[in-house]
Amino acid sequence: MAAFFKKPLRPRRVNSIKNGPYQEKKQTHHPSQSLLLSTDIDSNLNYLKAIFQDCSDVIFREFLLAQNEQIKLALIYTDGLTDKTQISEQIMRALTLEIPMVVHGEEITRANALHFIKMKGLCINQVRESQKIEEIVSAILSGETVLLVDGHSTALINDIRSWEMRAIEDSKTETVVRGPRESFVETLRTNTSMLRRKIKNPNLKIEMTKLGEVSKTDIAVAYIKGIVNQDLVTEVKSRLEKIKIDGILDSGYLEELIKDNAYSPFSTISHTDRPDRVAANLLEGRVAILVDGTPVVLTMPYIFLETIQTPEDYYEQSFFTSVIRILRIGSLIASLTLPSLYIAIISFHHEMLPTPLLLSMAAQREAVPFPVFVEAFLMEIAFEIIREAGIRLPRPVGQAVSIVAALIIGEAAVQAGLVAAATVIVVSLTAMASFTIYYSGSITIRLLRFPLMILAASLGLFGLISGITIFVVHMAGLRSFGVPYLAPVGPIITGDLKDSVVRVPWWAMNKRPYLMGQNNPQREASRLKPQPSRPKK
Amino acid sequence: MLEKGKIDSRQAVFLNITMIIATALLVVPAMTTAHANQDAWLSSVLAALLVLPIAWITVKLSSLFPGKTIIEYLEEILGRWPAKVIGFLYLFWFVHICSLMIREYGDFIVTAFMPETPLIVFHIVVVTIGAYTIKQGLEVLARTNQIFLPLILFSLVMIMSLATPEKDLNRLLPVLEASCVDIFKGSLAPLAWFGEISTFTMIIPFLKKPTEAWRIAFISILLVGFIFTLLVIGIVTTFGPSVAAMTYPVLNETRVINIAKVIERMDPVIMSVWVMGGFVKITFFYYVIVLGSAQWLKLSEYRPLTMPVGIILLALSMAIADNLLESIHFLANVWVFYAISTFELGIPLVLLIIAVIRGRGGNNN
Repeated sequence: MAAFFKKPLRPRRVNSIKNGPYQEKKQTHHPSQSLLLSTDIDSNLNYLKAIFQDCSDVIFREFLLAQNEQIKLALIYTDGLTDKTQISEQIMRALTLEIPMVVHGEEITRANALHFIKMKGLCINQVRESQKIEEIVSAILSGETVLLVDGHSTALINDIRSWEMRAIEDSKTETVVRGPRESFVETLRTNTSMLRRKIKNPNLKIEMTKLGEVSKTDIAVAYIKGIVNQDLVTEVKSRLEKIKIDGILDSGYLEELIKDNAYSPFSTISHTDRPDRVAANLLEGRVAILVDGTPVVLTMPYIFLETIQTPEDYYEQSFFTSVIRILRIGSLIASLTLPSLYIAIISFHHEMLPTPLLLSMAAQREAVPFPVFVEAFLMEIAFEIIREAGIRLPRPVGQAVSIVAALIIGEAAVQAGLVAAATVIVVSLTAMASFTIYYSGSITIRLLRFPLMILAASLGLFGLISGITIFVVHMAGLRSFGVPYLAPVGPIITGDLKDSVVRVPWWAMNKRPYLMGQNNPQREASRLKPQPSRPKK
Repeated sequence: MLEKGKIDSRQAVFLNITMIIATALLVVPAMTTAHANQDAWLSSVLAALLVLPIAWITVKLSSLFPGKTIIEYLEEILGRWPAKVIGFLYLFWFVHICSLMIREYGDFIVTAFMPETPLIVFHIVVVTIGAYTIKQGLEVLARTNQIFLPLILFSLVMIMSLATPEKDLNRLLPVLEASCVDIFKGSLAPLAWFGEISTFTMIIPFLKKPTEAWRIAFISILLVGFIFTLLVIGIVTTFGPSVAAMTYPVLNETRVINIAKVIERMDPVIMSVWVMGGFVKITFFYYVIVLGSAQWLKLSEYRPLTMPVGIILLALSMAIADNLLESIHFLANVWVFYAISTFELGIPLVLLIIAVIRGRGGNNN
């Protein structure tokens, strides 16, 4: 332990060497005191080596300039984040073999070496200079290659990053039949490039920051200037600035740290891995947050009705979309209330069922030993277990689980007389219904189903409706970055109803959503309704 | 100002409609028919016309004292101590309506759906949800109502149209068989309910455009009168004058629906309408009481009063009548005259006269 605390060698211009998150935090608070390189390459190297002590993936390569062996050079980079061929070919080879001796009658000396190397030596397209140790360290860690030159207190930072990454694939969470299939990957730069490819406009701004005192994760805030409400961007950025956390491994961290209502089960920030969804949101005047290391991108503000909307809705014809959206509203309501409605009717309001149905229900339930609430509750929990198992299980055993699950829930439970067949129907219908809606909405609904079932079991239909009333009141009180969560229905915003439960054709949706796109409401020209041009006389 | 939120004109219209229709639809058709028989719809139209002066006085008084509710501007009209007394009476009136409402709410559910559950359970549930809503402010109530009112109206339209096979327009004949006096008598019950528009005075200061108050009140009354008249016509064409003997004619209307033996037993729809509408109405009055009390006591925040007021409402709602018949009797025979003569029409009219004579208020000229 003593060695750990022992002070390493210190270069002349450096006051003290400390590493670890706490000290780095102190440095960021006092940028004026940030450490600078010295002109002595050995002390610089020692200093950096002390910082990267025990970091086996950081490579130090020292060598001499070919034409003037007095000048010592050093390359520092992180193995695995850089392109090794380029380092060998474009830096090492160039500097040790190919650099010209004399340029414009000037020879390489210690004094002009840096300039010489930058201008004539390096065959790299992106090179920048820096004197700050902090910047150099972060450059090395983010995959850039740093070149130190003896006698100069400036380092050359070469951008030849390259690392292993997943190929762009189909979206796993939101699949479509018609429309783009690509989804985001884990690399931030690739993700921003996908957005840029969709919106080729200098007004698409992608502002970078770093978050996470230890992890130093890159975060990009994307928006379209001129469409977005600038206050929204300021608000998003100020919420991000308040975050002090050790690491950000997924955008989910940010979602919980910046959402409006900390205790609400409803998410007021949308997340997606589809570039087209993000691009559409940006065009409507929303803000997106991209986090390095995750394909999940956050967009905000988010309203509740988006739960029943999918990107495909805008690609498929509008009549079909409208019908499907109404179907999804039905599914949303069913997945929330179907089990509780079943419990309420069976235990309190039999008179609501037509007599033949009532008789067959009674016959089914004759052999069942539990009250309907217990029965439905157990089946719901059984289903949740199967669903969870379906996500966590190792792929090869998937088949086994689905067969066992189908047997238990479908056949055996009914035949053994543990549950009525009707309960199985209700539970499976509920489950299917919950898959038709947007995932982050459906997990909330899944959660809220259980309190509703308890209410329905204790107060019948009255309890059910009261429960829904509480949910509606709660949602009416939510805001997502200033936008009421239940808009455009509560409050009613007439223009936005065009894209809510139904979707009118594109030629009629000529305004952006009122609450987000107020800044620049016109989305398209009016009178776009297609019609055949009149025959010329 | 105590309430930070603002509501827009459409939300105000929606609130006014729910505030009146929610309970009127249940018991009032029977009260009207009791006097006017098959001419009940004429009484309803008459009531809508008669309520216009009430609305006008309410809005006029508010416009004299912009940004103030009745509890606050009383002081400018009458001076400090008389204002405290009248203000207290107004608060008492709101408490009275609200606890009656809660009682009606519970009575209906117990009578029609859950006879074995104690009344107080339903009262506790609705007051608790109301308190939760009030904690979040007027805006949230207005938004919730924007979701609920369309559902309520849709359900009513659905019930009325599904019962069409049982309807016979001849049951409206002969027109004007009842004397004008009877029609007038029949219009008093709806008038008392429509007159609840005078409570609008408590939220006029929180409108985004207070200058539109008269338009809002007028449109609200127009729509309420229209909906209620249709409702009365729908019920009378189904049952004829025997509606007078029913407690909840709309529920009976629902029970006659039987289409192809599949669409029948629509009672849960009426229950949903009642629970949602009743909730909004009770919460609205609850809110008005909480806000008014805070203004009467000159507090800087109204939310701390939510719980105490809720407990008072709960206790009063249980004590206000011994049983359903007593509360219906009170509503039909005492409430109607008491409401119209004093707080809906009488006191505001006197206040307006005093204000004009004493030249109080901002834009009197």
